[in-house]
Amino acid sequence: MAAAVLSVRNLSVDLALAGRERPILKDISFDMRPREIVGVVGASGSGKTVLSKAVVNWIEAPLAIRGGEVRFRDRDILAMAPGEMRRLRRDVAYVGANPMGALDPTLPVGRQIVEKIRAVAPEIGGAEAARRVVELLEAVRIPSAKARFHDYPSQFSGGMMQRALIVDAMVSNPTLLVADNVTQPLDVTVAAQVIRLMRELTERFETAVLFVSSSLPVAREAASRILVIDDGRLVEEQPTEALIASPRHPYTRELVSQVPAIWREAPAVPRGSNAERSAVVSLNDVSQTYRVRKRGAFAGASELRAVRRVTFDVFKGDSFAVVGESGCGKSTLMRLLSRLERPAGGEVLCEGQDISKLSGAGLLAFRRKLQLVLQDPFDSLPPRTAIGRMLEIPLRVHGWRDAGRIREKVRAVMNDVGLPDALYEELPTGLSAGQRQRVNVARAMVLDPEILLMDETLSALDQTEQFKLLALFEKLQREHSLTYIFISHDLAMVRKACNRIAVMYLGEVVELADNDRLFFDPGHPYTKALLSAMPTLEERRYRPEDCLLEGEPPSPIDLPTGCSFRSRCPQAFDRCVRENPLLTARGRTDLSSCHLVSSPSAIAAERASRSTGT
Amino acid sequence: MLGAPNGRDGVRSPMFVLSFLIRRLAQGAVIIFLVSLLIFTLLRVVPGDPVRLMAGGMAPEALIEEIATKMGLRDPIVVQFGRYMGKVVQGDLGQSFVRPANGAATGGASFNDATRGERAEVLDLILETLPMTLQLAATALAIALVFSTALGVAAGLNPGGWIDKLAFYVSSVFISLPNFWLGIVLALLLSVKLGWLPAIGYAGYSYTILPAIVLAVELSPVLIRTLSSAVAAQMGQSYVAIGHVRGLTLPRIVLNHALRNASVPLLNVLGVQFSSLLGGVIIVEYIFDYPGLGLLTINAVLQRDFPLIQGIAIVTSAIFVLINILVDLAATSIDPRLEY
Ligand code: SF4
Repeated sequence: MAAAVLSVRNLSVDLALAGRERPILKDISFDMRPREIVGVVGASGSGKTVLSKAVVNWIEAPLAIRGGEVRFRDRDILAMAPGEMRRLRRDVAYVGANPMGALDPTLPVGRQIVEKIRAVAPEIGGAEAARRVVELLEAVRIPSAKARFHDYPSQFSGGMMQRALIVDAMVSNPTLLVADNVTQPLDVTVAAQVIRLMRELTERFETAVLFVSSSLPVAREAASRILVIDDGRLVEEQPTEALIASPRHPYTRELVSQVPAIWREAPAVPRGSNAERSAVVSLNDVSQTYRVRKRGAFAGASELRAVRRVTFDVFKGDSFAVVGESGCGKSTLMRLLSRLERPAGGEVLCEGQDISKLSGAGLLAFRRKLQLVLQDPFDSLPPRTAIGRMLEIPLRVHGWRDAGRIREKVRAVMNDVGLPDALYEELPTGLSAGQRQRVNVARAMVLDPEILLMDETLSALDQTEQFKLLALFEKLQREHSLTYIFISHDLAMVRKACNRIAVMYLGEVVELADNDRLFFDPGHPYTKALLSAMPTLEERRYRPEDCLLEGEPPSPIDLPTGCSFRSRCPQAFDRCVRENPLLTARGRTDLSSCHLVSSPSAIAAERASRSTGT
Repeated sequence: MLGAPNGRDGVRSPMFVLSFLIRRLAQGAVIIFLVSLLIFTLLRVVPGDPVRLMAGGMAPEALIEEIATKMGLRDPIVVQFGRYMGKVVQGDLGQSFVRPANGAATGGASFNDATRGERAEVLDLILETLPMTLQLAATALAIALVFSTALGVAAGLNPGGWIDKLAFYVSSVFISLPNFWLGIVLALLLSVKLGWLPAIGYAGYSYTILPAIVLAVELSPVLIRTLSSAVAAQMGQSYVAIGHVRGLTLPRIVLNHALRNASVPLLNVLGVQFSSLLGGVIIVEYIFDYPGLGLLTINAVLQRDFPLIQGIAIVTSAIFVLINILVDLAATSIDPRLEY
């Protein structure tokens, strides 16, 4: 066995804030061999990011090393002089979770990577360095790398920037790369590309990678061996497959059991057939277009078609999901559904009424009926208002006057969502992320709504909290016969919680299907690609080699002709260039828009789908 | 080579620059027009008849009326303004009421028509003095920038450290020094007592230095504070921390990146500070009897020399507009995300 490139021995790191001293990492030891990809998983706050920083000697106040060594090629880098450490940066590289802030926003990306090469390897000439950067940008499949070299960070998308930063890290042929949550800000298909890329690069450059992630399935995609960190301690270390098959430590067992099952189990929420239920929300040919100013032109605007001719029904008692990657139009759809915006075309009906025509009492009733639960639990709570008061406000707005009854109602709702009574008078500052999200849900629930619109409600939470909240949603739905509309990018959550799913791509619904059908028999190549990219602990149904996508979605300002998915579709053929496929029925309830879906009469199917909505 | 601004190294296409310039120049023209209208109207409603000054106290009332009518000073203001602007757009700022073409101001009694033809062109008067003032302003700016950069950057790199405190005290003291007082003290000290620098009048570049120092002291406090807070803010950005981990040296991070980013707020402040610099120039030139635009302005005002005052107003507002365009252009070329 090759000698270890990295040996961490008894590493302990403390938070050294006066009055709030506590250990963050306790006595961590492990080894890494050349070319090995080692995963590190743990919940948020477990100390894994601190570990990744300690390995690259980037511990800054208020953190302090309490003991132990980080031996790289048999030398303790924590004891090195800054100058010596700086030269070692050539061999020890780091990529973090926030690609957008990592480079100077005022200089072209390529130039900054060249600057880094020249800083760690001054013997390489400028022209040679530039050549190498372009070559690597091509290797990570950044389209037209030569031109991109001169673009500024703000002109890169998140996924592209993350790839550029991987180039930045790999360009000096490092022996060790620390990747801290690199896929976290990325969409699934892009994250899958990035992970595949890292695996390729480790082979090409013989680099060992420490792959830190908060998601066990993601770490599984990348790593051959996994370390589990819980509360600053290394609790388990096993080869990936062994760890998943037979986790030994209770924490690991919990972690594995909480990863939502995709194909192993039937979804927990069977529903009656649509025929017996009434549609509570219907979208009828809804479009939304924004005007965006053209850069550097005298006047003139481009049209950004954020949502294009979307038609679907949500039935009473449904858990309906709208999924898609960033920029697919799902947030616009959320704003249309909640009447934060009115559509440019088509109509949004709530129990048969066009919501853009509502006003006065009708609008107030609609707002009570449909409540929004927002995305980020850290930004959406007013910090100086006691939780009880916060929950009273919506009631007062909607005309409740009797203080006793208000209090009673708020207590009942807090009880419902699992918030202890004692929090009534507390400020939200001390709450955990999960509790904050519960407060958000309670805020929506006090008005006894019939429909909850969840905009990425769970995406800021870690696995354990997500698990608990999903259970809560299920309970609430049973007790209050709620209808849910989830706006999400997280297919695993959708598989667990939703019965009907709309997949969006570039503003269009490309597939609309029941849960089982969508996951077991997807009709659209994009859905298949999403499924193949989804990190999971199970055996894959769809091999990424067959359906994984290259590149990123085109801009909604310049839509491709024909099928808007064709620039990335592995199955595109000549008809796709000419004709935009219509949503076509596949069986009784499911629809998909792809020329490969065989159907005698697409138009008839579309008509049929409309008439069920009205 | 890499980084040369001629290639595709940036999003500032020539198209962008052109549209930017046209848009801003058009806005500038409107501003200048409004300034001219304002000054023109004000000058004609304030008390004090310029013809009386030109002709001298002893001239008979009828003669004054005759001259005034001949010069068009009794027409409605709109008509006068239209006539004036018509000439301005052709580059003719008119002639001074009181200055002969050959130099010193004409005084009281020489009111006969023969001298009318020899009155100085306003444009010539301005073009004579403007370079002097530009030289003074540039020197002041250079001194202020060198001083403020050294102090401000050092302060921004160690927020709360002793240099930061020093920078704070220095800028507090500077901001509370009245420029006329400082001018007189410095003239006494450096010129009269020590004999290092000449102070009064102008007979070579060394005469610029003392007034420039006074102006620089006036400019520095805002620059120091802008720079120290901008540098401190930049040093807290994640690209700086990650820059260390990427292996960049501290000098590179500071010089190449933090300063580059910090210069954008500095440029914006400079654009604004330019107007207060103009105010300072008038006082300082007056104190040091420096033959620049400021001194010309004061004399023009004292002599009710309407065409000259108007000309100076138009030229300074044009300079003001141009400088702000340049500042914004520089800022957008440093930070491509900015759009004006
Ligand atoms: S229509 Fe063509 S391009 Fe579009 S998804 Fe189907 S096969 Fe792919």
